[in-house]
Amino acid sequence: MGIKVVCASVIGKSNNPLYIRCFDNTEEPLKFHYIVHSALDVVEEKSTAKKGASLDLYLGMLYPTEDYRVYGYTTNSKIKFIIVVQEDGDSHDQAIKNFFRKFHVLYANTVANPFYTPDDLITSRKFNEELEKQVKTV
Amino acid sequence: MAQKGARPYDRIGEQVFAKVDKINAELFTLTYGSIVTQLVKDYEDLGEVNTQLEKMGYNIGVRLIEEFLARSNVGRCADFTETAEVVAKVGFKMFLGITANVTDWDAEKKEFSLVLDDNPLTEFVELPESYNKLWYANILCGVIRGALEMVQMKVEATYVKCVLHGHDASEIRVVLKEILTDEIPASMRDE
Repeated sequence: MGIKVVCASVIGKSNNPLYIRCFDNTEEPLKFHYIVHSALDVVEEKSTAKKGASLDLYLGMLYPTEDYRVYGYTTNSKIKFIIVVQEDGDSHDQAIKNFFRKFHVLYANTVANPFYTPDDLITSRKFNEELEKQVKTV
Repeated sequence: MAQKGARPYDRIGEQVFAKVDKINAELFTLTYGSIVTQLVKDYEDLGEVNTQLEKMGYNIGVRLIEEFLARSNVGRCADFTETAEVVAKVGFKMFLGITANVTDWDAEKKEFSLVLDDNPLTEFVELPESYNKLWYANILCGVIRGALEMVQMKVEATYVKCVLHGHDASEIRVVLKEILTDEIPASMRDE
């Protein structure tokens, strides 16, 4: 299939990172942090540009780097999901959209925990495990 | 002997469940969740929170039993074992939509365990590390105690296992303390 999610992150309302997890052990996590951070600018651009027009939560590809591509997804509560994938060949947009949808549901379930305050760092073990499972089955 | 009462109660439970009004599960879960977190903030001591939850449950139980008896039309239970089955299959089904299993009777048939595989109260909940002493759904223990007291049984119900603590199912141990004769129940005596 050729898609491998190497990094998934959840960014809060004020662009504060709530969760960053790298699934590729060969690379320095800092590199992914940097990629995600720079992707935030593109997210801003895309969300202000589409003002009034679309209800699209899925932002599509934000930008490509040499080995990776970055995709974004935003919610109405200004929570953003940014993933970095390694793909060979064509972009599998549908699969990425599905992944984001499941990611969003997973996030909503985690927020439903009464012991979690929104805008906190996500430390839930269940979230971690579920995300791992989803990443494996992309 | 153990199987004899089991089937009819399952069916009664489902029939009653079909007739009662339902509420959105998430709303219910989130409401209970905010009760617990507020109690934790107010009391800070988790043992105290457990006690408060149990008290709240008791108050719910003494009222809930009337609704239960009116809706379910279950007759008098012959003995405590039957009571246990009714609570697990009809009571839990009617109010929470789940059935519990009755296990681990002691020799004298005065104690049993209620095993719950899933519980709508604990959906989505993850306990933070330091909350090991908290029995999150302790309100259920109070409900059982309150309801049974109104039908002349004094019991003690306590949580022994909980899915939020890592066990695979939740378990409440119910112990029959005494059968009440015509005394004024504790709730109406002083407090």
